[in-house]
Amino acid sequence: MLNAIKDAVRKSSIHVCIVNCGGCNGCDVECVALLSPRYDLEQYGIYVHNNPREADVLLLTGAVTEQWVDNLKRIYDKAPEPKIAVAVGNCPQSGDVFNQEGGHVHAPASDFIPVAAAIPGCPPRPSEILEAILAVGPQAIADRGREQE
Amino acid sequence: MSSLMWYIYDFARKAWTDAFANAKTEHEIVEKPERFRDFPKVNKEYCIGCGACTVSCPSPNAIKIVREKDSEESEGMTYPVINPGACIRCGFCAEVCPTDPKTLECGLNHLILPEFNIIPSKRQYIVDDYLCIKCKKCMKKCPVDAIELVNDKLHVNQLKCISCGECLEVCPVNGAMKGVFVENLQDQKDLILLTVNYLEEYINSKEDDLRSLEQDGLLQYDVPLSEIWDEALKIIPDEEISLEIITNAVNRLKIRIIDWDESKCEKCQLCVPECPTGCITFDEDKDTIVRDKDKCLRCSICYQTCPFSVIKYFIAKFSLEDGKMIHTTVKSSNLNENIVME
Repeated sequence: MLNAIKDAVRKSSIHVCIVNCGGCNGCDVECVALLSPRYDLEQYGIYVHNNPREADVLLLTGAVTEQWVDNLKRIYDKAPEPKIAVAVGNCPQSGDVFNQEGGHVHAPASDFIPVAAAIPGCPPRPSEILEAILAVGPQAIADRGREQE
Repeated sequence: MSSLMWYIYDFARKAWTDAFANAKTEHEIVEKPERFRDFPKVNKEYCIGCGACTVSCPSPNAIKIVREKDSEESEGMTYPVINPGACIRCGFCAEVCPTDPKTLECGLNHLILPEFNIIPSKRQYIVDDYLCIKCKKCMKKCPVDAIELVNDKLHVNQLKCISCGECLEVCPVNGAMKGVFVENLQDQKDLILLTVNYLEEYINSKEDDLRSLEQDGLLQYDVPLSEIWDEALKIIPDEEISLEIITNAVNRLKIRIIDWDESKCEKCQLCVPECPTGCITFDEDKDTIVRDKDKCLRCSICYQTCPFSVIKYFIAKFSLEDGKMIHTTVKSSNLNENIVME
């Protein structure tokens, strides 16, 4: 009963935090485009805060750079449970064009924190990001911490 | 005040009230536009495994070429596999893919083909910079303004040219404007080689005439073109092209003929070390000097070396006017004249 109420509430209000761990900013711009009236993210009950302590969903962008190896774990720890991380774009998945021989990126991000979903594209279309958050977000958040039940 | 009026006007509209009551994004916005360049589509069956896509790809992990295991009936297919987690949808792989139809399809850019001249012409008209005197007669004559002045040089714009050939007629310098056949260069070379070899063999077959030729004498032959004509048509089936290529080549041709009279040879072997290509060798078993015709440069060094006049050296010139008979004139070289006189 309590879980059902929690799920219903969380489904209609997903709070996300954009974490750019050393990318080119392209995916961040696409995330910002989501906030614009054209896509109007908030009509789906998704709110963007740049504060991990308020976030349910961490949107990871960028190919984890040297400095972000530790900070990524710290940011993930600061988000309250239940939380999920979504890799936006190719960089957190494979390093993309930055993952050249002799490069200094530490992709994929899933080496450091658990990543629930990945959105391919360089950058992905805003609608693809929206689709992934809505499709994966509520269920993944609901499932977290209830494995024992 | 006026802006306030606009606000009131806007709020009073029904569309605004509807959108306010039910704020939803229209569905078209989330659909991909028709021309959107999505991840490449792979058509496995066309792949030739050249690897051009992997080389052109800017992302290191995006394309891998894989090869399936061989089955009993056939060899396993080789084809590229796209990793969407690394692909940046640039479409370079589709653009470089050399197969037709394309193994990789991505967007529409790779479907754009370069412009081409739809005039079904065998010739391409070009200006020879070296000979052109820039009188611009062709430029004035050209009915479609295809001849342009680029960097102070006349240049035929192939996209505009309609291959009428009027520039060729009006050009006062022979050879400055050329109507060349560009499609079968290797065949053209083969055709010229065939003609030259035929003419040389023909002259070499007239041994008696060559050996009895006086120092200032002249030999004249009419060599029929018909003997190689069938073979020429096998190389280039078009009669017009073949004849023009042979005519152009023959009229400028000047070949050097070497006649080797073995009966006079004393096997002194002086010529053997002199030959720059090593085509003259001494066969010890048969006790003869052997000359390899294919290696020979016709440089005349052996002719100038030989003390017994075994080797004779001639210059042959040709002209082909009517397309049937090649008029040939052969005269002996005057290289050794002074030495002989002494």
